[in-house]
Formats: sequence, structure tokens, C-alpha cells
Amino acid sequence: MTSRRQVLGLIGLGLAAAACRRSAPTGGEAGKAPRIAVIPKGTTHEFWKSVHAGAVKASQELGVEIVWKGPLKEDDLKSQIDLVQSFVAQRISGIVLAPLDSKGLRGAVKDAVRSGIPVVVFDSALDSADPISYVATDNRAAGRLAGERMVEALGGQGKLVVLRYQEGSASTHEREEGFLEAVRKAVGVQVVSDNQYSGPTTESAYAASESLLLAQRAAQGDIAGVFAPNESSTFGMLLALEKARIAGRLRFVGFDASTKLVAGLRDGKIHGLVVQNPLEMGYRSTKALALHLRGEKIEAKVDTGSTFVTAKNLDLPEIKQLVAPDLSRWLGAAG
Amino acid sequence: MTDTPSSFTARARALPGEPWFGPLAALLVVYALFAVVAPDTFLGSLNLLSMVRATVVVGVTAVGMTLIMIQGGIDLSVGSVVALATVAIARSLQAGQSPMMALATGIAVGAIAGLANGALVAGLRLTPFIATLGTMSALRGLAKGLAREQKIDAEPGWLEELMTMPPPERTYQLLPIGVWVGLLLAIVAAFVLARSRFGRHVVATGSSPATARLCGIDVGRVTILVYVLGGLLAGVAGVLEFSTLTVGDPTDSVGLELKVIAAVVIGGGSLSGGQGSIAGTLLGALLLTFIDTGCTHVGLPNWVQEILTGAIIVVAVWLDRLRRRDG
Repeated sequence: MTSRRQVLGLIGLGLAAAACRRSAPTGGEAGKAPRIAVIPKGTTHEFWKSVHAGAVKASQELGVEIVWKGPLKEDDLKSQIDLVQSFVAQRISGIVLAPLDSKGLRGAVKDAVRSGIPVVVFDSALDSADPISYVATDNRAAGRLAGERMVEALGGQGKLVVLRYQEGSASTHEREEGFLEAVRKAVGVQVVSDNQYSGPTTESAYAASESLLLAQRAAQGDIAGVFAPNESSTFGMLLALEKARIAGRLRFVGFDASTKLVAGLRDGKIHGLVVQNPLEMGYRSTKALALHLRGEKIEAKVDTGSTFVTAKNLDLPEIKQLVAPDLSRWLGAAG
Repeated sequence: MTDTPSSFTARARALPGEPWFGPLAALLVVYALFAVVAPDTFLGSLNLLSMVRATVVVGVTAVGMTLIMIQGGIDLSVGSVVALATVAIARSLQAGQSPMMALATGIAVGAIAGLANGALVAGLRLTPFIATLGTMSALRGLAKGLAREQKIDAEPGWLEELMTMPPPERTYQLLPIGVWVGLLLAIVAAFVLARSRFGRHVVATGSSPATARLCGIDVGRVTILVYVLGGLLAGVAGVLEFSTLTVGDPTDSVGLELKVIAAVVIGGGSLSGGQGSIAGTLLGALLLTFIDTGCTHVGLPNWVQEILTGAIIVVAVWLDRLRRRDG
């Protein structure tokens, strides 16, 4: 019995050790290159994969080593705090972080900075003066861009519906306000609803969109345009428009470019999508931290820009790179 | 001191029979493993303290779960209770209550949730798994409603310090106050379980409810009390969680119950009741943190980490069972 147990134990240990070593290509060679932790909000969304690719690009250019690690539970605040603390305990050279909450991460970031670990924040703001730089889409400008193009598409005339994303989400709130700011400048455009929220998931967005379209008599042709401020709300609205058989009959402007949304663009069901540049975000934030570690001065705020994508410009090379970037170049087959 | 050599060796030989021996061995093996793979970072004392701090919420909740599982029950609602407590604390701070009042509110919310669980299990005679599956969902909904479906920002006051590492002038304190509180609660619980009449009744009920009833134990009362204690400890965990988050988060701690149950089971607890120890549970909880942190230090991607965690849990419990059957 004893020998059998020992053998089993050894096998288990060996497997674990092998697993550790094989999948940690960067862990072993602890040369002098600084190690930078890049912490997204999650790891499974397309958006974060592009960020990852950008971070890898910056790390290769600047000769730093990056550790890409998202919260173990996708979008879980506590997991992300634990992760930051764990990197601080590791005495990593620096942290690049997309905070899940503008307040909740303050303590962990303060701890890091107090231990001499610089932090760059990207994607979403942190309510704190501790980070050395903030790299993100200027969401208000992005919303304004969407609003201006919507007014153009409507020819300056018609009733509009805005589906908001979620209470308390700062980035999408900025987009909604930017959009409203732009469309309110057009005299002929009237916003008939801007107080409905899509909620966090595609399902909740679909349900909210469906009742919103019914309430505003969209099927009867009362509505000329619809706006949604992020991927899940845009997709939920698209589903609701399709179900009501009015997709393409009104101008629909949304955010972000998933495969399904791009297909909607091609089919003429979506008029345009505002697309951010996550690859640039990962690249610029990692680069900022690497430069800071070298002692160079960096900008406190970086806007990575946004682009309006329509069926017409979709196939231009520079747009293609935004909508469907070649991530495998940076992430390899494993990405 | 008065041990003769022979009784000393006899004791040493009996050591592997102690319930906490298996989990301790597993913990040391995993620690050694990561120490070898990532010696520069994982071995640091700062890292050890940081890992202990990261274990507290799971640990405190798991102490309550140990009592419940020894009694033969289970509580799937603990994650929702922790989230509800963080929301209740944030709301009461927002309403202008003192941090002390907010803290008491959080713990009371936990105890009331526990009372509800106990009433469903003992009063309505529902299977604990089903009853707490229901309250898991209901309490999660309550937390979201109370928070108006968003994170609640409130000025935490001194509550924030419960989980921050002590400042340089108080390094002798080693760990945040919340960790010491958690340890103290664990010691009290272990004492109650081992030495008090109530503790013996809990074990007896879990081993065989029918026999316990024949012996004159008020099984219903024991059951309700165990769930109240479990809820109360989840409420305390909620206070510590709020201290870490500094916001009330209704989506916090989804899946916490699985981690907590894993800690209890690694620590020698049984899903069929009658077995388990507080020390073993705490070691189990630490083991889970060691795996999480170690994988981060080594730089493993999350999907590998999740597979590894699952494998280590299964192997640890399986080896422990083999050992006991032998002993």
C-alpha cells in the first residue's frame, strides 16, 4: 500500500511540476529585463485579446517581459484586487491595469505605489492620483463622433432612441452623453427616449430593446434612428430589430466590432459602428510603463482614439486592421 | 515534559492519524513545489503574509461551513450572504451610520440569512442542498435589489483598515487586524466544537440524527443554531470583504461556496456529516490560496490554473481518504 501511495504522489507532483514549467516560457529566464504585469478585466473577450497583442508588441520593442494575467473570475472585482496584491507581493517591476471599479481598486493601487511599483491605468479610469498615466479611448469624443454621423445619416431630421448601457458604468455613460451632446445640436433631431438601460448581458439588452422598440412604435415607422453604447447593448438591439423585422429600415449606430456586428454592418442592418483601438491601448500603456521604468517622462493622459466604421470603409486596410487585427502575429497560435 | 521516550514515539506515530495531518502535508508539498519553481518571489515573507491575508474571507466562511457540514448540512448561499453583507454595510454607511453600526449591520444580515436557512432546513424539513440553493438565488437577488443593481460607493472610514497591511510603525502586528479577528474566531469555533456540549451535539447530529434524537438531543435546535453561526461567520467575512473592496458589490463572491466547500473537504470534512476539523479547513483554505498565488507567480494562464486547482483538490482528498483507510 505504502509504495503504491508514494508512486501515485510522485506522479501527481511530477505532472504538476511539468505543467508549471512547460506553460511558463517567460518564468525561468529571470534576466535583468523588468517584469511588467498586464491585468485586463477578463481574458476571454476579443477586446482583451487585442490588448494582449498590443502589450506583447510593446514588450518586444522595448525589451521588457510581460506577465499577462486577468482575474481568475471574469469581471470579478475581488479577484482583480487579489491579483494586484499578489503582484505587489511578488515585487514585480510595474503594473498595467484596467480597473474593474473606479473606487474598489484604489487601495490595491495605493499599496503598489507605496511599495515602489509604478502603475499605469488603461481602458477605464481610477479615482486616484496614484497611477502615473491613463491610457484610454476618449469616450465622450467617441460618443460625439457617433452622434455627428447619426445626424448626417438622418439628414438632420427624425426621432431618435438611445439605449443606455448600465447605471454606474463610467465609460458608456460618457459615450451616451457625448452622443446626446452631438445630436441635440441638430434642430430637426428629437431624442424621444434616453432613460432605458440595456443591463449587462446580451439577453438583458435584447429584452430591454424589444420593449423599447414596442413602446416607441418603431415597427410602425415612428423612429428614424437608434443608438447603443457598447458591444452587448448593440448586439441585443440588433437581435431585437431583426426579430421585429425592421433591421435596416432605420439608422442604427452602435459600438465595438464583434464578428456578428460586422456581419450586421455588411448586411445593411447596422449603419455604423464606433470602434476603439484595443491593440493600441495595450501597446501604449505597456510602452508608457516601460519608458517610465527607464526614467523617461511620459504623458499623464493618452487618447487611443476611435473610428467610425461603415459598410463602405470596412474593407480599407487600415479599418480592417482595427476590426479584425492579425493577433496571431503577436500572440502566436496560442493567443 | 514527563513523557517517557516510548510514549513520545507512540504519539509521533499517531500524528498521521490526526485529521489535520493530511491537509498540512499537502500544503507543505504545494508550498515546496512553488518555492522550487519560483524561488525569487514565492518564498518571500511578504508573499506569505499576503497569501494569509488573501485567505481570510474564504477561511472565516469555511469555519462556519465546517460546523454546518459536520452537522450533516451544507450551505450554498454563503457567497450571496457575503455579497449581501457588503451591500448592507455600504448602504448603512451611505445613510450616515457609523462604521461600527455598519459593521454590526453586516454581521446581523449574515445571522438573519443563516436563521432563514436554518428555519427552512429544520422547520420545513427541506434538504439543505435544495433549501440553500433557493436562498443562494434569493439572497443574491436581494443584494442586487438593495444595491439598485450597481456597486455602491461609500466612505469606509476605519473599516478599510481591517484588511490593509499594518503601517511601517506597527510591523510587529504582522497581519491586518481582520486576519487576527478571523484567527480568533476560528480558535473559538474549534474550542466550541471540541469542548462544549453544543459541539458534541453537532457531531452527534451529523453522525446519526436518529441516534442523536434518541439520546435526547434537540436536533432541530442544533440545526438552526449551526446555520445561524454559519451565516454570522459569513457576515463577518462580508465585513472583511467590504474592507478589501471598499464598495458594496452585489455581484461579489459568486462561486465562493464552492471554494469554501473545497476547503472543508480538503481539510477532512465529509459531505455526509460527522467529520471535519477547523484546523484542517483552514489548512485547506490556505492550500487553495497557495495554488492561486503560486500559479500567478509562475505565470500560468488562467485555464491551466483552473485545471491544476481542480486536479490538486481531487488528488489531495483522494490521498487523504487512502491514508485514513490504511490508518
